[in-house]
Amino acid sequence: MGKLTIGCFSSLVGSLSLDFAVKLSEAAVKKGHKVDLWLSGNAVMLSKKGQKAFRDYSYVQKTVDELIKAGNLQVTACEACAEARGYHKEDTMEGCKRFSMDWYLASCFDADRVLLIGGD
Amino acid sequence: MKLGVLMSEYRAGTDTLNRLSAEKLGVIFVGNGAYHATVKENGKASPVLEKAATFYVLAEDLESRGYDASAVDGRVKVVTYSDLVDLVFNDYEKIIWI
Repeated sequence: MGKLTIGCFSSLVGSLSLDFAVKLSEAAVKKGHKVDLWLSGNAVMLSKKGQKAFRDYSYVQKTVDELIKAGNLQVTACEACAEARGYHKEDTMEGCKRFSMDWYLASCFDADRVLLIGGD
Repeated sequence: MKLGVLMSEYRAGTDTLNRLSAEKLGVIFVGNGAYHATVKENGKASPVLEKAATFYVLAEDLESRGYDASAVDGRVKVVTYSDLVDLVFNDYEKIIWI
């Protein structure tokens, strides 16, 4: 089994690329792989607690929560990106982490595959 | 190098793709990139399909745009997210997103 690191940059909750990142993470974890999901730019909002599900609106927080609890998925948000958006540590979803980009770089060096998904 | 390219746009990204070369090149159409696998403008398939590469399209993104496998160009293989994970780990050493 391998490790996949996905760097997700500048995608808001509801964007196609962020949904893709979560669905790919889910498929990889289900096949026994480990996934590190790094959230940068607007993508940090995926790790904010209190998201609500609406009909016909993308809602991936439940999937992320389940995958974190099941193990093999780590979700880490860029701390500076979060603070710059007024999203503080106490607002972070349980199980998600906040670090500087050093965490992402270390994860990339340790990964079998790296996918960087750029901004929308 | 074995390079997998996730192509997420229909109207953009072709220039970048044309500049890429690899020992083995795979192009996986995701998101709006799925239109490359189906749309024929003026009766012609997407010029992207002329590139020397292996082509795939993500089934979920195809279906969410109202297409099924019967609408897909014969050069493109329909894959699931599970298949995509296998492509990432087994078939391509580097994966990029355009």
